[in-house]
Amino acid sequence: MTDVALLALLVPLPAGLLVWFTPDRHAGRVATLAFAVGIAGGLALTLPVLAGQSLRALDGLVVLDALGAFILIVTLAVSAIAIAGSPAYLRHERSLRPGDAARYWALLLWFVGGLTLVPLFDNLGLVWVAIEATTIVSALLVGFARTPAAIEAAWKYLILGSVGIGFALLGTLLAYASSVELLGETSDALAWTRLASVAAHLDPGLVRLAFLFALVGYGTKAGLAPFHTWLPDAHSQAPSPVSAILSGATLAISLYALARFHLVAVGALGPAFSSTLLVLFGLLSLAVALPFIVAQGDLKRLLAYSSIEHIGLGALALGFGGPVALGGLLLHLLAHGLTKASLFLSAGGLVESGRSRRMARLTGSLETAPLDGRAFLGGTLLLSGLPPSAMFVSEIAILFGGFSVGWGVAAAVAGLLLALTVAGFLFHASRVSFGPARKGPGPTSAPWRAAGLSIPLFAVALLGVWTPDPLTGAIARVVSVLGGGGG
Amino acid sequence: MTVTSLVDLCAAGIVLLGVVLAVTRSIGRSIWLVAAQSALGASAAIGVGVSLGLWHLVVGGVLALAAKAIVYPLVLRQMLRASSVSVERHPYAGPRLSLVVAIGIVFASGAATSDLALAASVGGTRALPAAIAAMLTGLFLMMSRRKALSLLIGLLVFENGLSLAAFALTYGMPLVVELGILFDLLIVIVVGWVYARRMLRVFGSLSTDELRSLRG
Repeated sequence: MTDVALLALLVPLPAGLLVWFTPDRHAGRVATLAFAVGIAGGLALTLPVLAGQSLRALDGLVVLDALGAFILIVTLAVSAIAIAGSPAYLRHERSLRPGDAARYWALLLWFVGGLTLVPLFDNLGLVWVAIEATTIVSALLVGFARTPAAIEAAWKYLILGSVGIGFALLGTLLAYASSVELLGETSDALAWTRLASVAAHLDPGLVRLAFLFALVGYGTKAGLAPFHTWLPDAHSQAPSPVSAILSGATLAISLYALARFHLVAVGALGPAFSSTLLVLFGLLSLAVALPFIVAQGDLKRLLAYSSIEHIGLGALALGFGGPVALGGLLLHLLAHGLTKASLFLSAGGLVESGRSRRMARLTGSLETAPLDGRAFLGGTLLLSGLPPSAMFVSEIAILFGGFSVGWGVAAAVAGLLLALTVAGFLFHASRVSFGPARKGPGPTSAPWRAAGLSIPLFAVALLGVWTPDPLTGAIARVVSVLGGGGG
Repeated sequence: MTVTSLVDLCAAGIVLLGVVLAVTRSIGRSIWLVAAQSALGASAAIGVGVSLGLWHLVVGGVLALAAKAIVYPLVLRQMLRASSVSVERHPYAGPRLSLVVAIGIVFASGAATSDLALAASVGGTRALPAAIAAMLTGLFLMMSRRKALSLLIGLLVFENGLSLAAFALTYGMPLVVELGILFDLLIVIVVGWVYARRMLRVFGSLSTDELRSLRG
């Protein structure tokens, strides 16, 4: 049963090859089918793990614990939203040539397939291989539109992404060197389950260096300041569904990889070293995002800087530790993924119907593009953490959790920065939603797209007032993984 | 010659070529220098693999030799002919400053790794500082140059350092991890080449000065 589910989850990878050679008009259907099989397999794998079972397959190469399963669920949910929004993007993108649609779907399959591999591997080396592979595929997607600006963004993303992720590889190699004497020259020396269990006996100097390089590497991939400079360009120039995945899913995946290193570092060095670094870079990201959000003029860059703000909050929560902040972090990753994915699609719709990214030219969107306008307004309210958003709950939990474990000053500074950012964000959102209407009616929308835009927003609002018991149990299990232990 | 002295020799060569690359302004000459650097790294892997009977190292080394020392230089050379620029004319850092920075990088890398207790079986006591020096030199090249081709060359230098680190720290790494890493490193350059070609077509040049529209 496990093997079947695992095979189903991997279907998107070979299916991508098939889709590459499929005629444009059928590519979307074949790809969606492959995604559906993958999502079904993913659910069959993750739900039992989140309910408390453990999963070990392929001779220990694949190990899924509650943390991995939770991240996998977030990735699959965000991908489903992006897929629902993809046909509309392809219909409205004007720079496409024959064959481009098939290539888009194939790359999207590989992107999502690569991301879903990451939480499965019990091997830091393979985690790196999978993340680097998604970087390469997504660089091709970022420059998909072939406009000069898209090429510029993709070039920056490719170069900075490869260098960043190169440092993550060095971190991985150092982790291997720190454990190879204890665990022998086998893949055990890179298995995070084994590393975490022997962490106390690892060489502290090597672990310290390994965590530093991993922080720079996966921090670059996640968009932590000051390694974030590629992010606003890539997120704003990529096709909107790709931006949705970049922001909602890769952010969670990179934080996941960082969390694995953090657990090893805590075991080897005690919590002070890596936690302090995570809190510092988290605060720096919040501080860097603030002025760019307040003074922003470009709609998609506004969302991109908001991603930097939220990854900063994520790093902060991971650094705080403690059950309250970590529980908040998990809820936040889920809610941010869903909301941001929907927002990128609705913002993409507004940009396409308004033929501009400038917010000053997109005003009055509630009137000009009823579906996208409403989804955009709803999404921004939820993203700002106004009740009943789940992000209200998660942000309160993170800050309060920080206070309760002795990070009072950091939590207070973070709270202030968050409040200022929210004010700036809402100012822009209200201008776009309620300002004078500029253009005629926007594009007509397919029912799939309407579902992709609205269901995640309703889910986030619902999660803010009522957390179902299975989710509470799952979050408790993930928190126990993150609190040490490793399983 | 023992295995360790072979690795040491190649590591020293890689560092030296990195310093020479930092002061070279002709892009054509840089391409051959970086090819020589890649060849050194690959032959270290092959030599160690043959003498210790680690066949996956030999496979990886041969693949790296074919791709990084032969195929990439030819492709880069062909792109160089297609574009009008052949000299890195106004880099952000001139040759003298570059020389100082490159030598500083070598000493800093040695100092940063001097107190690490590396396992004796891994044999990376001198190769690791060399690897980190090469990575940082690559990074410096990418930060101080303006032409897209120079950036790709910097990325290659960075990767040569990374491969040396991979191999110095871990010559018993599981095959699947090693091949995965090698595959990824090879594909990055291919995608870089795809985008450099698109830049040539859209902007008509390979200077990253054109890439200034995205701000704020």
